[in-house]
Amino acid sequence: MSKLDEVKELTEKGKQKLIADAVQGAVDEGVEATVILDTMIDAMAIVGDKFKRSEIFVPEMLMAAHTMKKGVAVIQPLLASGASTSLGTCIIGTVAGDLHDIGKNLVSLMIESAGFTMVDLGVDVPTDKFIEAINDTPECKIVALSCLLTTTMPALSETVKGLIDAGMKDKVKIVVGGAPITQEYSDEIGADGYAEDAASAAELAKAIIA
Amino acid sequence: MIIIAEKINGSIPSVAKAIEAKDEEFIKNLAKIQSEVSPDFLDVCASVEPEFEFETLKWMIELVQEVSDVPIAVDSPNAKLCADMIPFCKKPGMINSVSMEGTKVDDVFPVIADTKWEVAALLCDDKNGIPKTAEIRLKILEDLMAKAKEYNIDPSRIHIDPLVEMLCTSEDGINMLVDVMKEIKKRYPTIHITGAASNISFNLPARKVVNQAFVVLAMNAGMDSVILDPLNRDMRGLIYATEALLGEDMMCMEFIGAYRDGIFGVQKK
Repeated sequence: MSKLDEVKELTEKGKQKLIADAVQGAVDEGVEATVILDTMIDAMAIVGDKFKRSEIFVPEMLMAAHTMKKGVAVIQPLLASGASTSLGTCIIGTVAGDLHDIGKNLVSLMIESAGFTMVDLGVDVPTDKFIEAINDTPECKIVALSCLLTTTMPALSETVKGLIDAGMKDKVKIVVGGAPITQEYSDEIGADGYAEDAASAAELAKAIIA
Repeated sequence: MIIIAEKINGSIPSVAKAIEAKDEEFIKNLAKIQSEVSPDFLDVCASVEPEFEFETLKWMIELVQEVSDVPIAVDSPNAKLCADMIPFCKKPGMINSVSMEGTKVDDVFPVIADTKWEVAALLCDDKNGIPKTAEIRLKILEDLMAKAKEYNIDPSRIHIDPLVEMLCTSEDGINMLVDVMKEIKKRYPTIHITGAASNISFNLPARKVVNQAFVVLAMNAGMDSVILDPLNRDMRGLIYATEALLGEDMMCMEFIGAYRDGIFGVQKK
């Protein structure tokens, strides 16, 4: 097996302890850092796909994403010196009044695994803070809003409205998600995209900026 | 959880029959089916008359090793005989068991002193039999550990059996046992605590549920080794779940892995 295949397999299987050596091995073999990165992104796409088909469980997807993070750390210095390899920045946060962060963190990890740079504003984030962050981040392409409660769905709607009113749609795509959210609701409040789980969120992020 | 697989034991009637009939395939099959569900040790106990025990146990151990690489827990009330079986074992296993009764410790500890063999040790001695109180059990623990130190046997190689007795005649449930287990772990953090879980349910109906409840509570008190039927899917699942609940299974990966290996959960046709 080539080192690159090994990197792919280890990422898919979430082998955190072995990934750094494999990535270093690939680098030593002369494989371009960007190729290694793309290999890991591809591996995560497969992981996301398996998750959507219920073939693997959340912890396995998390392990794979953490593994990729460890692999990326090895090639980070090589990537930084070259041209930008990030697909862009994605700002993420849970809307005002909602304190849930597990799902949001998982989505963040998966979008990051798809090749984005993440800015996580945390939970209970007011609209102003999203706007401020978008203005401060010229390379931001997506803002992802999370909402877990039916009682905070109005806050999600207001946040999207606030972003639109502030002209943010010219700068970024607005995507939403969370347990009570549906595609219909997303359309209704004027979001640009909706994903039903973390794996779909990663796919959505890639598709929406394409 | 360290799993010691219990099915190759001459005190089980079907196994006794196989030993009597020299049914090699029966013994080998028990070794094989248990090895498939990743136990840490395969217990091998002859449970025959003393004059035949050496030959029988040796025969069983050799048969088991024809089909399995799992380390063997050599099980006999005769500790010296356990030690005598060491040369026939391909890899270091476990002596099951010693106690402070008679010369058991002196028969075994010197033999395993400079090896990787592990040992199960019961908290009983000649004077007290099965001690009624936590104090006496812990006193015997210290006697045992003094001996272990003398022979340079690290606590991590010792599985203390604090003696699981039947629940139906106990006046305080397993409270005393829990106290003993917690204290053992406090004094020797790397030591293992083992037990025959099924002892708890003697003379009760629906023994299975009693055994299961016991294992959960005992694990919470520090038990990390157990002798049981590794093919008992409900119990295996419960143990993996309990480990995860106790924070000993990062992100439930062991739980998921064992499920994937088919050790518990819905049985694949």
